[in-house]
Amino acid sequence: MIFLKLAFKNLLRHKIRSFLTVLGISASISVLFSIISFNKGFESSLQKELYRTGIHFMIVPSGCPHEVASLVLHGAVTPNFLNIEVFQKIKEFDEIEFIAPILITQIPNIEKEKIDLVYGIEMSNIKQIKPQWKIDGTIPFSDDSILLGYDVAEHYSIKKGDILTYENKRFTVSGIVQKTSSQDDAFVYMPLKALQDIIKKPNGATAIGVKVKDVDKLNTVIEEISLKIPGIQIVTMSQVVNSLANLAGSAKILSLSIALVAILISAIGVMNSILMAIFERTEEIGLMRAIGASKFDIFRIIIKETVLLTLTGGLIGLIMSLVGANIIEGFVRNFMPYIPSGKMIQFDPFLALICLFFSIFLGIFAGIFPAWRATKINPIKAIRG
Amino acid sequence: MIELKNIVKTYKRGAEIVYALKDINLKIEKGDFIAITGPSGSGKTTLLYIIGCLDKPSSGVMKFNDKDIGKMSEADLVKIRREKIGFIFQHFYLLPGLNVLENITLPLIFGRKTRSKEEIISLIESVGLKDRIYHRINQLSGGEMQRVAIARAIVSNPEILLADEPTGNLDTENSEKIFELLRLLNKKGLSVVMVTHNTELAKRTNKVITLRDGKIFY
Repeated sequence: MIFLKLAFKNLLRHKIRSFLTVLGISASISVLFSIISFNKGFESSLQKELYRTGIHFMIVPSGCPHEVASLVLHGAVTPNFLNIEVFQKIKEFDEIEFIAPILITQIPNIEKEKIDLVYGIEMSNIKQIKPQWKIDGTIPFSDDSILLGYDVAEHYSIKKGDILTYENKRFTVSGIVQKTSSQDDAFVYMPLKALQDIIKKPNGATAIGVKVKDVDKLNTVIEEISLKIPGIQIVTMSQVVNSLANLAGSAKILSLSIALVAILISAIGVMNSILMAIFERTEEIGLMRAIGASKFDIFRIIIKETVLLTLTGGLIGLIMSLVGANIIEGFVRNFMPYIPSGKMIQFDPFLALICLFFSIFLGIFAGIFPAWRATKINPIKAIRG
Repeated sequence: MIELKNIVKTYKRGAEIVYALKDINLKIEKGDFIAITGPSGSGKTTLLYIIGCLDKPSSGVMKFNDKDIGKMSEADLVKIRREKIGFIFQHFYLLPGLNVLENITLPLIFGRKTRSKEEIISLIESVGLKDRIYHRINQLSGGEMQRVAIARAIVSNPEILLADEPTGNLDTENSEKIFELLRLLNKKGLSVVMVTHNTELAKRTNKVITLRDGKIFY
């Protein structure tokens, strides 16, 4: 215990130096914790959100199926539309429980002098497709009502009951979706029929979400549809999840590499700081050797100092990532193609514990060389100065 | 207790070999109070460090309780320093991060030994620091710091106390007090070897060894 106190007091002798060293460790542990937490949160939220929709697969026009599926989920406009016949043919399959055609396009908003992203969907399917939404107001009950995403409403300062005009047709805002912190916030949600009329594409759809009656027959249904309807591609939700998770995984590897470089740099900082302290305390270390401290005793004291630094840094880093979770999450959301709603960075005690153990390991790793140098101090030379 | 036979200690200074000690023969018995004097650079501290097993001679034999320290491992020497020898230095070398009590008990911790709190407090009282037990080192005067160093040196009940200029940093009054404390410890049976420039204090010990150019002059 006295060694620990000695180590602690030694660190306090140079408060600014120790503080800066701890800060370096805190920042890198914070980044590490946030990246791992974010990735775990991303994968689980993505799976929950996609499977919660109740859709088993999506039918999209020919092209890169994953790209189209991602665009549909992301909310961008795709150049191709599904043929009208596709919609009718899919309806004929007995194994299908429901189909949800989705039409995404851009329409100019003359009054506001902007172009809005409009998401056309049969309003009866909204609760199935977006079960996590909370709406201030109601889901549109007629073809002249629309729903607004949070950011659109904020940007235009629009309230429930206000009117928006598209292509000379007036729409009443029946409700506003509460903030989801996802791409959903940027859409105007319009009844499918109304949107098809505006863009003059009756029965036109960007994609069709499909739910089967018996999930065990999913593969059979997909095979049958693929055989009977040409010119389409089918993407299952598992494929979308994998596709997005792979994308996130690549980003994770890159960001983890950056975090590890940061950790390595901060470990070198710890090493440097402790080496300087050892040079300054040569006489003290020599004295301890003279009064009976073994080389291992000296080694232990120095390792305790480095571990104290890195463990404190680790603890502060964890607190920093929890306090700054929203800022980090907001920052990352700008760069990801698709982010599910809900909190991505959540406190995982097991992960926090791993990060703390990693901090201890880092302290031991950074302390080995300075501690070894300290054991090499010749007590006679040290005492004689 | 300690016997030095034909001890020679050399150092290399570039290509030149410098003789710090030449042909030293000395016996230290239990209960001795020896002063080592001599001009600067005469080899006093080198001799003290060899006696204290901090350094090994280049040639010759030094025996501690009939055991040749030249044949001992580093770990054995550490053990002897922990258990048999107490050191005090001119510059005290107390650890500023620890209080008086913690500084004094440090050798016990290194030696994995325990002594009751009453024994330690009694020891602290015996060196006149009863009211300073929990004080920080920077709150003490020079004389008090040297008392802490003495208490630290004897806390493990060593057989011999080696003092390198123990009064070198103290005024006359404190020098006298520290010397009296060393003499008191010697009277209780502890062997004391003291390096000093103070010839007046040296004369009051049992035996004075004067070194000149690494040799015992008389």
